[in-house]
Amino acid sequence: MASSVPILAARGVSKAFFGNPVLRSVSISLEPGRVHALLGENGAGKSTLINLLSGALRPDSGTIEIDGKAVSRHSPPEARRAGIAVVQQELSLTNSLSIAENIGLGAYPRRFGLVDYPALAARAKAACDLVGLHEPLSTPVGELSLGRRQMVEIAKALYRKPRVLILDEPTSSLSATETRILTTLLEKLRSEGIAILYISHRLDEVMQLCQHVTVLKDGICTADRPLEGVNAAGLVRLMVGRDPGDLFPRWDSTRTERVAVSVSRFAAGLMRDVDLEVRAGEVVGIGGLVGQGQEDLLLGLYGAIPAKAASAVIHDAAGLPANVPQANTRGLAYVPADRKREGLHLIHPIVTNLMLPAFARMPALKLRSRARERETAMGLALQFAIKGDLGRAAQALSGGNQQKVALAKWMPLDPAVLLLNDPTRGVDVETKREIYAMLRAFAAAGKAVVLLSSDTPELVHLCDRVAVVREGRVITLLERGELSEEAIVAAAMGAEPERAAA
Amino acid sequence: MSIRDAGFLSRSRILAVVTSRPFLTFAIVALVWIVASFVSRGFGAYGHLRYLVELAAVIGIVAAGQTFVVIAGGIDLSVAAIVTVAAVGLPLFAIDADPTGLTPILAVLAMTTAIGLVNGLGVALLRVHPMIMTLAMATFLQGLLIIIAGGSAVTAANPLVSWVGNARPFGVPAGILVWVVISFVVLVVMHATPFGARLFAMGAGPLAAKLSGVPIASTTMAVYGISGFMSGLAGIIVLGMNGQGYVGIGDPYLLASIAAVVLGGTSILGGLGTYAGSIPGAILLVTITALITVVNASPGWRSILFGTLILALLLLSGREAARR
Repeated sequence: MASSVPILAARGVSKAFFGNPVLRSVSISLEPGRVHALLGENGAGKSTLINLLSGALRPDSGTIEIDGKAVSRHSPPEARRAGIAVVQQELSLTNSLSIAENIGLGAYPRRFGLVDYPALAARAKAACDLVGLHEPLSTPVGELSLGRRQMVEIAKALYRKPRVLILDEPTSSLSATETRILTTLLEKLRSEGIAILYISHRLDEVMQLCQHVTVLKDGICTADRPLEGVNAAGLVRLMVGRDPGDLFPRWDSTRTERVAVSVSRFAAGLMRDVDLEVRAGEVVGIGGLVGQGQEDLLLGLYGAIPAKAASAVIHDAAGLPANVPQANTRGLAYVPADRKREGLHLIHPIVTNLMLPAFARMPALKLRSRARERETAMGLALQFAIKGDLGRAAQALSGGNQQKVALAKWMPLDPAVLLLNDPTRGVDVETKREIYAMLRAFAAAGKAVVLLSSDTPELVHLCDRVAVVREGRVITLLERGELSEEAIVAAAMGAEPERAAA
Repeated sequence: MSIRDAGFLSRSRILAVVTSRPFLTFAIVALVWIVASFVSRGFGAYGHLRYLVELAAVIGIVAAGQTFVVIAGGIDLSVAAIVTVAAVGLPLFAIDADPTGLTPILAVLAMTTAIGLVNGLGVALLRVHPMIMTLAMATFLQGLLIIIAGGSAVTAANPLVSWVGNARPFGVPAGILVWVVISFVVLVVMHATPFGARLFAMGAGPLAAKLSGVPIASTTMAVYGISGFMSGLAGIIVLGMNGQGYVGIGDPYLLASIAAVVLGGTSILGGLGTYAGSIPGAILLVTITALITVVNASPGWRSILFGTLILALLLLSGREAARR
């Protein structure tokens, strides 16, 4: 079987976004009758690779081959014609349309130029039966649970009778029963000679279902081998453990006995039953797979979403802040992950972006002093090495410099607690280094830092302690001595610690 | 756009002013005035131009509130109804004990400000879309007006109101003087206070503004409250100029206020703009209306011409760049 011609393959593909390489010369070949696992940490380049395979992105170099022939102009329609179907992680369904309409969308059977609804229903029914969807086909997708929608998404892919099926974390929202149905289905499709690419963070599923594995780490392929003879611990090791080099500052404990934030039985958004204590002078990491509720923990503490707690002490005062201005008054500052939408006003000058938290707190009708604002902004720009004319719109800045503005704007407030949401996402290495040094400097200055990160090495090298979040709960609190990428990833994925530590 | 060089700072600043939307709109007004005075006799007479600016003052004051709302990312479709409420409602507050006529004016302004605050309440706390909230408010007010005033016109025997509408201290109509004072205050609040900075932030990105600590609810309410106040003030001036108030007297000011804001270069999407543009925008609107009146056409054709000219002007003076 290994000698058969791959239906879809990438040969030495590279891709960079804004100068940051995301994939470096990666090859993968999807062969008929094989379930191929693609593993890697958040940001390892998995999604980019899928987008290259499905034609949504073009590689900077390297080729995509279909049936052994290089395609020069790979595009989504081209991919569909070649029988490549992708089940995306972000659901691509239209809530107001019915199950049948969603499944057939873009490929409706026609009759006299009109949609042939009976034929659509018949074909959609066949696809639904395969995945065990028994809801009436006219049900609007918006009324279905997340797991059922995922099944609709898979049925939509099957409706197109694919030769290659790419599944991006299909089971993350499925129940045990649904997962079992999917597993059986994939076994069946495999025996019919379909090539399947399976991305999952659940290692037990991968071990059970897949025959071949490709592991990505920082955009480089670290393994491309049959799954036989590999165990879960070995896979985890292949995914993590890059050389940190001198990216991170030296770690010294600056932790004090003063409590900056202490909550018990805290609940906000997806998060439940959180007991957390952050001391002044320490960096507490929040780890876990993307979207387990970590962001709600920060937003809840910050008063941006409703939150409650059995007891809460923040910066020597009891109770959670009811809203953002109150949180700011009590010494909390929050740097969002999505800096373009949540952190900055891109169409406004850098100087007003830097001054906004101050404007929010000043008396509303006090006259502004442009000269003093400029002076403050210049000071911040100097301190944070923000390059660029302060009078220009923030959108002129690079991602790294934008992130520094989003961080710097809080400094005039002198916050006691800094809540950071993935501050180095999409930031170049040099800026990462600067941000890391700043974080440790904050801690050394007696401030408390809560660092939510999807970048595991960051958590290992910067934090005093790391709370790992899974399905809305803090499942482990790792102390400095226990911190390792293996330990965090294992906890995040729910792998047995002794298996991962092997 | 231009590279700021310390040596050429003054020069680049002049360039920035000359190429700014408010300045360009002023230039268009001047150009139209000059051309029209040659073409049409009497157009360029001081009395006529003064009359145009007096008419523009009402639009300009309504547009002041509208500019606040639009910059903060909303829109106020109830301004016309509020103008009418003020013009028709003022006589109801007449008190014989106050010979100056100040009390009814203050009462009306308090009332229209309160109407605006209710708009703001709906938008900020009940999360009703600004269009729906203010349109519903307008419909509600129109119904109320019909019940109270019916079809009859009301006359205000208020000395202060007639003064605002007709007096000309130093040869300048009082309405224009009010507009000048309002313009000064509005420009200061908009561009020289933290409150103004919060509006721009809210309009450019409400989520980023919220997470930066901007008090969204109270600022939103303030903005609609200001718009209600301005519409009320405009209603009082209209009543003074007309001598009579009737249902429908405020109707022309809805589109006019929005058109003045947009002609002045304020982004309808919020976050960018200045009242300095709405001022010439209001004058330009009145000028166009006057020009069309000069052209001897039927009301239908006048309306078509008016719409076409506004569209053409907007296309000329630059459409909005796409935002990401």
